[in-house]
Amino acid sequence: MDYKTVAEELVKKCLKKGADAAEVYIENGRNLSIDVRKGEVETVEEAASYGAGLRVFIKGKMAFASSNDLGERALDDALGRAIEFAKITTADPNNVLPDDKGLTEIAGLFDPQIGKIPMERKIELAKKIEQLAMKDPRITKSDGARYGEAEGEVVIANSNGLAKIFRSSACSLGVSVVAEKGDQKSSGGEFCGARSFSDLKPAEVVAAKAARDAYEMLDPKPLKTQKAPVIFHADVGYALLGGILGAVNGERVLQGASFLGNRMGQKIGSELVTLIDDGTPEKGVASEPFDGEGVPTQKKIIIDKGVLKGFMYNTIIAKRAGVQSTGNAVRGGFTSLPGIGPHQFYLAAGQAKLEDIIKATKVGLLVKEVTGYGINPVNGNFSGGASGFWIEDGKIVFPVKGLTIAGTADEMLNGIEMAGDDLDLSRRMATPTFRIRLLQIGGE
Amino acid sequence: MKFTSYSAEDIPRRKFLELSLKGGIGLVAAPSLLRGLLAGQPAARPELAFEDLNKVIRHALSQGGEFGEVYVEHRISRSILLEEGKFKSAVFGISQGAGVRVISGDKTGYAYTDEITQEKLIRAAEVASFVARGTKSIKPVDVKEEKRPSYITVKVPLQTVADEKRLEIMKRAHDAALAYDARIKMASIDYYDEVRSRIIANSEGLYLSDELPLLFFIVQTLGVGNSTSHMGRERLSRHSGIEMFDELKPEDAARTCARESIVMLEAKDAPAGKMDVVMQNGWGGVLVHEAVGHPLEADNIARETGVFVGKLGKKVANEKFTMVDDGTLPCFRGTTDYDDEGTQMKRNVLIQDGVLVKFMTDILSAKQIKMERTGNGRRESFRNIPIVRMTNTFIDRGKDKPDEILALTKSGIYVQSLSGGSVNPTDGVFNFTCREAYLIEDGKKTTPVKGATLIGNCLDVIQGIDAVGDDLDFGPGICGKGQAAEVAAGQPTVRIRGINVGGSRAR
Repeated sequence: MDYKTVAEELVKKCLKKGADAAEVYIENGRNLSIDVRKGEVETVEEAASYGAGLRVFIKGKMAFASSNDLGERALDDALGRAIEFAKITTADPNNVLPDDKGLTEIAGLFDPQIGKIPMERKIELAKKIEQLAMKDPRITKSDGARYGEAEGEVVIANSNGLAKIFRSSACSLGVSVVAEKGDQKSSGGEFCGARSFSDLKPAEVVAAKAARDAYEMLDPKPLKTQKAPVIFHADVGYALLGGILGAVNGERVLQGASFLGNRMGQKIGSELVTLIDDGTPEKGVASEPFDGEGVPTQKKIIIDKGVLKGFMYNTIIAKRAGVQSTGNAVRGGFTSLPGIGPHQFYLAAGQAKLEDIIKATKVGLLVKEVTGYGINPVNGNFSGGASGFWIEDGKIVFPVKGLTIAGTADEMLNGIEMAGDDLDLSRRMATPTFRIRLLQIGGE
Repeated sequence: MKFTSYSAEDIPRRKFLELSLKGGIGLVAAPSLLRGLLAGQPAARPELAFEDLNKVIRHALSQGGEFGEVYVEHRISRSILLEEGKFKSAVFGISQGAGVRVISGDKTGYAYTDEITQEKLIRAAEVASFVARGTKSIKPVDVKEEKRPSYITVKVPLQTVADEKRLEIMKRAHDAALAYDARIKMASIDYYDEVRSRIIANSEGLYLSDELPLLFFIVQTLGVGNSTSHMGRERLSRHSGIEMFDELKPEDAARTCARESIVMLEAKDAPAGKMDVVMQNGWGGVLVHEAVGHPLEADNIARETGVFVGKLGKKVANEKFTMVDDGTLPCFRGTTDYDDEGTQMKRNVLIQDGVLVKFMTDILSAKQIKMERTGNGRRESFRNIPIVRMTNTFIDRGKDKPDEILALTKSGIYVQSLSGGSVNPTDGVFNFTCREAYLIEDGKKTTPVKGATLIGNCLDVIQGIDAVGDDLDFGPGICGKGQAAEVAAGQPTVRIRGINVGGSRAR
């Protein structure tokens, strides 16, 4: 079915039924997931699905309806609901749709081969990664391996004449295992994602990391409550990013609900803090030619060598702030309105090797796992659970579990004094390993 | 057919579905099957719908396998946002679909379709049967309708409520929040309701259909002080008609939320390290939901990875500690009449006086660990396979007096409310973030402290709970485990000895 035509026709219909402006967003896709455990297939899930979201504006009032039935009657019904719902919302002159007809050219987002590879080969791959992860004798149980894939198409049309379509594919491979010793249990897991089957990381690499994460944490020792340097391993650096992401959301900024709201152009972190949002890398796992409402994506520097440079906007919030959309409209699928969110959001790599960062640390904590909500985007406070390794005289001496770390965004961003070269851009949110001068650690 | 006007009353789904049949792409389903969706409205010839379902189930088991199931779902939802004084958006959702599942040994095959047609269901059955190829097959029992007790009562159905009523409820909350204190600079009111209809039919001959209303009302308020800001939150939720708001007043929720926002403007740095924690009754039960509940879900027991493997019948907690998962509490957020596999809801005591007596199961894990089905097989929608989930989970009421528990705690942290947390079910290490907490000094609640993380090990915590109050209360929430599920968590006031508190200053 030609969904672009369906979308364009539907936009016209919205206008005919009384909308001043309208947008239709259609998603259509297929997904497959395979779970394997103990060498056997545990679950196979497969489905194709689709749906449409209709956004209408009547005299500045906005409403939305979605349906996963693309039959004419069902869509008419959804349209009627949206128009009716637009009567109850508040008019706002900022309620507008984008008109930028451009597309950001990005290669490698769709691999038509994924769907053609036989199911058996995918099952074999999941079995293989599980087997590899179980190879080490310290690994005693499997928590399963998973292969997943999805391919789909997004269509956006609006009454400003915008009509865009983009196809993409993605696949992922992961495994999770348990190491046991006496009464102790320790879990480790790793996954990787890519746009193409052939770009998945080698199963050996992913499996070895899952196993290592599990057995390395056996025999933890208690640690006293103290202040010490804290190294965030590249695996957990994202814990720093979530709160910043919330704080550079243009709507939160306008609402006064961001700790970065009035810091534009100011130095908020050390020289090593360069934070980027990029929707454009070739084959990028978070790349797309246009955002959730059709605005071309871009690469945007949020923090440049410690100086706050930009917030993120979708079309409506940008108009309210008197700026241009940054192409950061995101949707949680066809059932939701576009909010504001990142593409690939990452802290730029530094030059140090992980070993050198450890070597340069007299005493300190190397964090391998962080739990909790990260930095609070409203006030910048941070508190989280942590486990990892204790470092003395530049060497890892023992694993530690059940600790807490706490501080403020200010302390953390300004305290970053070393950054590693180990940035992994196969993740949507990524940082290299970095060391923070001093944080409060809670333990015994 | 033209829809020229819309009353507050939803188009009855019967009509909606019949209309769908007349046009559109491919909706040529047996109408009898669709009519089955109309809970409480008997179809003209229900046996036709049953026969359609029997055919799909037989097809699902044609390659082998011992359990086949069809799950059909229809959902209408409304979501309205009032923020910064404006009704910013109104979102209407219509979703329908069906999933077919096959279980063969430890294997599960699943496929779903957005189109509820016989042809698409048969195709889904084919895909789902993949895992069972070449295994022994059973002869499915023909489905037969079953009536079950309901734990959900509705006075004013959501379908009959005019949108103006929804707006009025939201506005009452919004205004009450802003009126609470001049330092409340913004209020955000999120209103959500849905009506979800289900049909569950399986190869054991089960046929059930019902309709579940759900309300979820979230108030957030931003308090702005001289040096800091705090976003407060309060949530109301029930499976209920709109009458929920007669009992749970939107103004009260707003004031509770605003109070938190203001109090926390004075928060000081929390101390770091191990200390005693007193947790106020209510949503704090999310701590045991995470720390103990998830590890008690039988999927990780069947995999032999969980922290409670091999501990059934053993003493795992302080004898004052009894923990229950009860999906029958009237109209609670975690309640349904039966789970999404059709297993009857019940009160399941999991830990009795410190002794582990039961795991929560779904159909698959119950078979794997040879235990009863407890009614914990739930799914987010027809797009998801059912997995073991909690319903309303709580620490049962004890005998201690809440004020005495506090008075007898010399120093530590008093946690009035928690945001939420997570657990690693393998090693049992959990974490939570406090929303509102205070220092305890000489048995008294004193200075508010900034949102600290609480972290610990599940077994240590249930050993360390040494006082359990008589003031059991609950709060509504969302549980994430790959899929979202609506749950309630509860507890009386309790004291936990020696939890690690993630403060930002040394004691």
